[in-house]
Amino acid sequence: MKRIDAVIRPERLDQVKSLLSGCEIQGATAAEVRGFGRQRGHTEMYRGTEYSVDFLPKILLTIIAADEHVQQIVDAIIKGSRTGKMGDGKIFVTPVDEAIRIRTGERGPAAL
Amino acid sequence: MRQPIARHGLHRSLMQGAITILLLAGLFGVCSTLCFADNGPKPDPAGIATGDRTSVQDAAGNALVPATPDSTSPDFAAQKKAYDDFQAQTAKEPIAMKLADSVGHVRVATNFSWTLLTGYLVLFMQAGFALLTCGLVRKKNAAHLMMLNFAAFVFALLAYYAVGYAFQFGAVAINAAPTNLGGTPTLNAFLLGHGSWGFLGGKGFFLSGPGYDAGSLCLTLFEFVFMETAGYIIVGAVCERITFWSFILCELFIGGILYPVFGCWVWGGGWMSQLGLTMHLGHGYVDFAGSTVVHAIGGFCAMALAVILGPRIGKYGPDGKPRAFPAHNIVFVVTGTFILLFGWMGFNPGSTLGATDLRISVIAMNTNLAAVSGSATALLLWYLIFKKPDVTMACNGMLAGLVAITAPCAFVSPNSAVLIGVLAGLLVCGGVLFNERILKVDDPCGAVSVHGYCGWLGAVCVGIFADGTYGSGWNGVGAANYLGQAGQGVTGLLHGDLSQFECQLLGATLCAVWAFGATYGVFWVLNKVKSMRVSPESELEGLDVPEFGMPAYPEDATASIIH
Repeated sequence: MKRIDAVIRPERLDQVKSLLSGCEIQGATAAEVRGFGRQRGHTEMYRGTEYSVDFLPKILLTIIAADEHVQQIVDAIIKGSRTGKMGDGKIFVTPVDEAIRIRTGERGPAAL
Repeated sequence: MRQPIARHGLHRSLMQGAITILLLAGLFGVCSTLCFADNGPKPDPAGIATGDRTSVQDAAGNALVPATPDSTSPDFAAQKKAYDDFQAQTAKEPIAMKLADSVGHVRVATNFSWTLLTGYLVLFMQAGFALLTCGLVRKKNAAHLMMLNFAAFVFALLAYYAVGYAFQFGAVAINAAPTNLGGTPTLNAFLLGHGSWGFLGGKGFFLSGPGYDAGSLCLTLFEFVFMETAGYIIVGAVCERITFWSFILCELFIGGILYPVFGCWVWGGGWMSQLGLTMHLGHGYVDFAGSTVVHAIGGFCAMALAVILGPRIGKYGPDGKPRAFPAHNIVFVVTGTFILLFGWMGFNPGSTLGATDLRISVIAMNTNLAAVSGSATALLLWYLIFKKPDVTMACNGMLAGLVAITAPCAFVSPNSAVLIGVLAGLLVCGGVLFNERILKVDDPCGAVSVHGYCGWLGAVCVGIFADGTYGSGWNGVGAANYLGQAGQGVTGLLHGDLSQFECQLLGATLCAVWAFGATYGVFWVLNKVKSMRVSPESELEGLDVPEFGMPAYPEDATASIIH
């Protein structure tokens, strides 16, 4: 099992979700987060005075999937969220040791 | 436990001080009411004796009933003849005179309705100011801002009821009787000064005795909502760092002293309004609806308080450069501005104190024109300088136009109104940048620039743009003819009356000096006795919880996550 964490543009969430519905996934969790990347935020003007927006709003999408489905899911996320401009976000894939369904107590990929 | 008790003790002693001042002022008022008790006309609380044949006028304002002849006047003979002829006619036509009494009553009733209804519109500006200022600050101070606006209304009105109204209008019948409302004849004595040199009114303390009169109370309602406007203005400059208790003292000071004193000089028949007669300065100092009397008083009082309080923590970096604290709710800001514009439809046209004065349509239209030209100017100027139009500055520009047209709205043409709006739009942008970058006065909502600077500009604009089509006989000047023309009203520099311009320039500047100086003097001392500023910890946390025990948006409170 793998855990896929994708930091994406908030306005791209709908598109990513509709592409994911064509993949083998059993669930996903989205959180509103704030962060910065290589650009380190940007500046705006308020009443003639500059201010910096250090942490930009992003969506953190977390999906746990069986190993064989990871590539398909990652492709869908990239397809749905890429604009080609700075700030498109990143995807991290990490191994998952165990998964447990609380209701039934099932373990492993069957619990997903 | 010890520390909170000590703090509450201090709050209590401050409040006790405030209450003592109020009570003493009241006692003083009651005494003076008794002193003046039996000179002059009887009050009419029921409203059945207000408005009779003496209130009947034609469209040009000529009274049906000729005035009692004045034996010292040069045209005594003509006056006496008109008076005697009228008396003879009255004896012949008793039914016509009964009808004239009814017509006079209906005329005053029409004007009562207008004055009260426009007063209610001005009252609603409270909601506009609350939303505007709340939206312009950081989310952590939203409840604090709403509470300041709310408390401003409550405490300033109490002070105005006790002494403010009497100080401002206690002598209005002497030089500036509101004839549209029946003339309020009971308000007829100065506490300080007399004749054309009145400095403080002296009747109507606690709205009792001479103040307990239908005509007078109609005026009270319309005037207290104006005083409240000056009271709300300071909120925009002192917010996010003032303690609640010292804010209440500020409001008592504005409602009881600062506002009524200048108001008496200009609107209560005081010395500034009479400068036309005494010093031959145009029609005296003219401020139709309060660019200075209301807005500049509030604006420069706010400036003094902002200087005393100092900037918010973090407003200026170690390099002395200003930092932005962006508004937390632009929806509130724009909604609030629109409510203020709507309220201004009472503020300016209502200041005729009567719907029988048909100039109200011109006034209403001028007010809207200055609002949009002020807003357009600020918006475009900002777009040119900073590449993006700033929503909050567009709103400030609209308010600047409104503030600046408030004094001249009745005396200028629609074209001049547009021009005045443009000037105000330029001034408000310059003022905001000047305060923030050069003076380093921290004014979160731009109150000093919008109300102070543009209020000053508005009064000066009367002296420049007034076209003489309205205000014949204003402040007792030139009723028969002015500048060699019959019916010539208040006239500005561009239409040939330099003395009006001089009077406006001096008067508006005096207003700024009075509002800034008196406030600075009183609150500099108070601030030395007990700091008016919240603790740095409270300020950083946001004042909602430390000052009032609750956040504006409960979902932000950590408690709600677990419940």
